[in-house]
Amino acid sequence: MELIATQKDALTELINIGYARAAAALSDLTGHRISLEVPEVSIHLIPEITQKLQRVIEGEVASVNQVFSGPIAGNAILLLDRKAAILLNRVLTDRPDITELDGAAREVITEVGNIVLNACLGAFGNLLKVQVTFTVPSLQIESVQKILTSITIADRELEYALIIHTRFHLRVDDISGYLVIILGVTSLDTLLLELKKWEDRELK
Amino acid sequence: MSGPSDNSESKREVALLSWIQQFAPYGVLTLDKSFQVQSWNHWMEVHSAMRFENIAGKSIFALFPTLQDRKLVAPFERALNGETSVLSTALHRYLLPLPSPIRRSGAAQMLQTAQIAPLLLGSVVCGIVVVIEDVTQRESQAEALRRQHRRDKILSWALTHLWKSDEPRKIIRQLFFKIAEHLDFDTFLLYLRDIETGTLALYTAGGIPPELAKEFADYPLLASVAQSREMVVIDSIQARQQPEYAPLKKAGASAAIAIPLFANERPLGLLCFASWSRESIATEESDLLTTIAQYLATAVDRENTNRQLQRAREELQSHAQLLEKKVEERTARLQETISELETFSYTLAHDLKAPLRGMIGYCQILLEDFGGILPPEAHNIVERLARTPRRMEALIKDLLQFSDISRQEIVLSRVEIEPVIDDILALRAPGVRQATTIRTPLQPVRAHLTLLQQVLANLVDNAIKFVHPKTQAKITIFTEVVSHSSPSTRSQPLLFNSTETAPPGSSDSPLEITPKGVRIWVVDEGIGIPIEAHQKIFGIFERGAFAERYEGTGMGLAIVARATQRMGGTCGVESKPGHGSRFWIELPAA
Repeated sequence: MELIATQKDALTELINIGYARAAAALSDLTGHRISLEVPEVSIHLIPEITQKLQRVIEGEVASVNQVFSGPIAGNAILLLDRKAAILLNRVLTDRPDITELDGAAREVITEVGNIVLNACLGAFGNLLKVQVTFTVPSLQIESVQKILTSITIADRELEYALIIHTRFHLRVDDISGYLVIILGVTSLDTLLLELKKWEDRELK
Repeated sequence: MSGPSDNSESKREVALLSWIQQFAPYGVLTLDKSFQVQSWNHWMEVHSAMRFENIAGKSIFALFPTLQDRKLVAPFERALNGETSVLSTALHRYLLPLPSPIRRSGAAQMLQTAQIAPLLLGSVVCGIVVVIEDVTQRESQAEALRRQHRRDKILSWALTHLWKSDEPRKIIRQLFFKIAEHLDFDTFLLYLRDIETGTLALYTAGGIPPELAKEFADYPLLASVAQSREMVVIDSIQARQQPEYAPLKKAGASAAIAIPLFANERPLGLLCFASWSRESIATEESDLLTTIAQYLATAVDRENTNRQLQRAREELQSHAQLLEKKVEERTARLQETISELETFSYTLAHDLKAPLRGMIGYCQILLEDFGGILPPEAHNIVERLARTPRRMEALIKDLLQFSDISRQEIVLSRVEIEPVIDDILALRAPGVRQATTIRTPLQPVRAHLTLLQQVLANLVDNAIKFVHPKTQAKITIFTEVVSHSSPSTRSQPLLFNSTETAPPGSSDSPLEITPKGVRIWVVDEGIGIPIEAHQKIFGIFERGAFAERYEGTGMGLAIVARATQRMGGTCGVESKPGHGSRFWIELPAA
């Protein structure tokens, strides 16, 4: 399934609004200016995304997974490769010598994932005027394939994935990650419908 | 509306939830939509020392005003919008300021991770639930692990550098600055003993004011520790009144550690680190420094040993040079003596000739002028008297020749042998030529013409002389080309017994340059020589018992040997009594 140009633009704008909130929250937290680049958005069938992501993100991956429910329901995941996860810790905390993802480091990744995911999904809810609630985020460190398989097995209805490629800029470091939002057919339909309504409201 | 059974079911659920909340190993509290405390579990009461009945209905932001300063209101507000927030300890340290469960740890606050989530009734948000986990223990363990890791890194870094370097002393300063920085020490001192004298001296130091350098250069307190085998920790230095602590006090130290350096029971010196801010030094630090001191001691000991080895090697070398010089000097003196002796014997022999001529002359006068009046017996005596000086003359002539050979400057050139033999035979009795067979062709050699003439004449004369009485000599002369691929495969010739013979392959031997040699054989069918005399006969004045019946000076073969040697050749003999003799001389081929 392909998004048409207008849908793509609308989604990108929507996510950008969420990102502004996330960047502000992260900057507040760390005292560093953090910017999130304009994301690239695309929609894929789940079996395709495993292949697509495996090409760009290798080895063990730190994933923060948050389930959301409401009129639009699904799974939101932030994927960071090991190097990015460690780099993020070095920049955000006062531990420049960190080399392993220990308990404290995993918590930092979870909190950052939580901030970014909440910001995006919260923006969806607020702007599309739908109520979305979230579960507590969980962190997994595994290969991309295992992470995505565990999600699809959990719910057969989930079929489509919205992939948002994000890039954080912190001080001099450039940390790159992927945001994956997995939706069922019904939720995707609702999202696109709500998106259209939002666009119409905005244009008035 | 729910019936009575539903009501009891719901009551059961509430009871169960309340039980879990009370006994959970976490802090659990719930707030209503205006952030007022609705519930507060046992864990919260224990750790906050606030009883629920005293705080029920109060706003969380009133109870903990710092939440607002720390920008932690937003997660509570967002929970009302359905969002869940997690707070990590690395980024926030804690959510609520509660006292630390570990007394001695540096942080006064309990370290926490927290979750702030919407409390849902169906899909409607009715309040907020907060769950707090105490991670102080976990973090203090992680911190201990990190410290251990840092220490391991310093140790392996120090070890690598000390081991890699051939001169560990040179890198010690750099090493200590790094160790001091990592372990948060402000001063270090290293005293080392001199290898020879054993005197303790300050080798290097850091963090000492220049005006105090003198006091530390000779510091009895540390010198006494260096004598002992035990590490010493000196704490609360600034509070000490005794004068021996004065230098450390003046340097600003508050705690110090001094570790004696030993390797294989040898006292090598002392290592000292001091802090300006800490009152004492922890056991784990003193353990680490003791290990570093051991590494250092081993490295310094190794360097000392290397230095001693190097010195011994140098001494040996200079000794060898001295010996060489002595040998050179003595050789020069010896040569001088030899040449003096040679001159002396030449002069002696030469001067002896004159009186001999007088004796011969006077004997002749006696016979010619007074022959008539002498009785016949006296006649006979005078004749014998006249013969004796002739023998002596011959002897002196040979001696002169021998010393001539030794003194002459030798220039080797190509010499054809046949003309030399011809000249020799021409000067002998006519019968000698008939008795001599020359197997031509004769190979040319590199030789000194005059010397070769003398050598061959002597050999021919011997062949003529040493024959059985009343027999005619039979002589065969021929040459043989011998090749020596290397000195070791060379058949060892029978050498004359002069110690001055050049050994085969010696550096001044021309054989070395032209490995091919020519042997000139002079073979007779005379009386022969017993094997035990083969070497002796080449010596000066040597005449074997077998030769008693024959006239001679005993110089002939000595001249052969010396002359051959001077031309860079060798000579020898193969012979048995009654089977004739086969004399040979070997010279380089031309």
